[in-house]
Amino acid sequence: MKKVFVFVVVGVVLFSGALLFAADKAVPEDYDEDTYGPKDPIVWEKPVKAVVFDHKVHTMEGGLECDSCHDELFQMEAGAAQENDDFTMATLYDGGYCGACHDGSTAFASNTRCTACHIGVRGSDRLQGDAAAGKKAH
Amino acid sequence: MKIDDLEQMESEDLSTLSSAERRRFLKIGLAVTGMYLGGSILSLISVKNAHAAGVVPEAGTYPYNPHYSMVLREHLCIDCERCKEACVKTNHVPSYGFRTTILEKRRSLGEDKSETIFVPVLCNHCNRPPCVRVCPTTATWKDEKTGIVVMDPSRCIGCKTCMAACPYNARYFKEETRAVDKCDFCLQSRLSKGETNPACVEACPADVRVFGNLADPKSRVFQLVHAPDTMVWVLRPETGAVPNVFYINS
Repeated sequence: MKKVFVFVVVGVVLFSGALLFAADKAVPEDYDEDTYGPKDPIVWEKPVKAVVFDHKVHTMEGGLECDSCHDELFQMEAGAAQENDDFTMATLYDGGYCGACHDGSTAFASNTRCTACHIGVRGSDRLQGDAAAGKKAH
Repeated sequence: MKIDDLEQMESEDLSTLSSAERRRFLKIGLAVTGMYLGGSILSLISVKNAHAAGVVPEAGTYPYNPHYSMVLREHLCIDCERCKEACVKTNHVPSYGFRTTILEKRRSLGEDKSETIFVPVLCNHCNRPPCVRVCPTTATWKDEKTGIVVMDPSRCIGCKTCMAACPYNARYFKEETRAVDKCDFCLQSRLSKGETNPACVEACPADVRVFGNLADPKSRVFQLVHAPDTMVWVLRPETGAVPNVFYINS
């Protein structure tokens, strides 16, 4: 009887652990990089630090196709746009880059909700894993 | 003392207590009670000319001129930390301390959604600075001309009482100088050399930080905090320190 009880307790602990672990995973199993684009978010460092773009939010969840943005607004190479001199908020307000959709009608306007994309130095440290953050702390 | 001598002494028990003595004692008790009771009743009477004071002082009642202050347009802050970098470079701030930093908080937008709010913080250059009051060596004080809370490192003995007193965690102990260091609105590094803005203000790409003379109605800080339909708040108003760093969202 005692053995059965121990067995049940251990089982419950393991099962809840597995559930928690599953919930922790941000990207689901069925994420296909060929359909939805790179899994890891892009973090821009120029002209200001720590601005995020997540393919998953725009393709898998938002329903956009690759050619909605490529190659007219952005070239395929991840993070290449930040080398351009016109990669600024002013260009976005004029409908360039992200501003093509983030104009207030298709998606929230570029001059609102700043922190939705500007995740900040803290946010980007967190996103890029504890490895980077740990290195900084020591 | 011998027991025989003790027996000869006058008794101090209740039988020797005169009525006059008892009366006097009761009178003192009643007087004390009356004082407290009177005070309580007085405190219930409303004060006619009292009015709720906002965090922004009335125009024309600023104790200094220039009365330096900073307005932070909070929702525009994106934690790019250019202000921090500029401050570190200008004021030689070591990696373990800060004169200004960015805090982060999350606000629920309902359902599972939330937004991030970045809060830039620095010395609030309070009108009633707790740090100044507690300093045992007068190593920190309010500058008579500008109202900036300044430090003299050579007078600081490193007791850190000011660090404990500051409601804004705006002070740190600098090992290099063996003294407490803090934001002085770049008074030493820039303002005294003719610059009009602290380094953080100049570095901010999003125009979050606005610096100026609150006593001048034409200054941008004055106009921002006195604009109609604007919510202005300060951090930890309950401490009564009367800070000069204001937050708005417009």
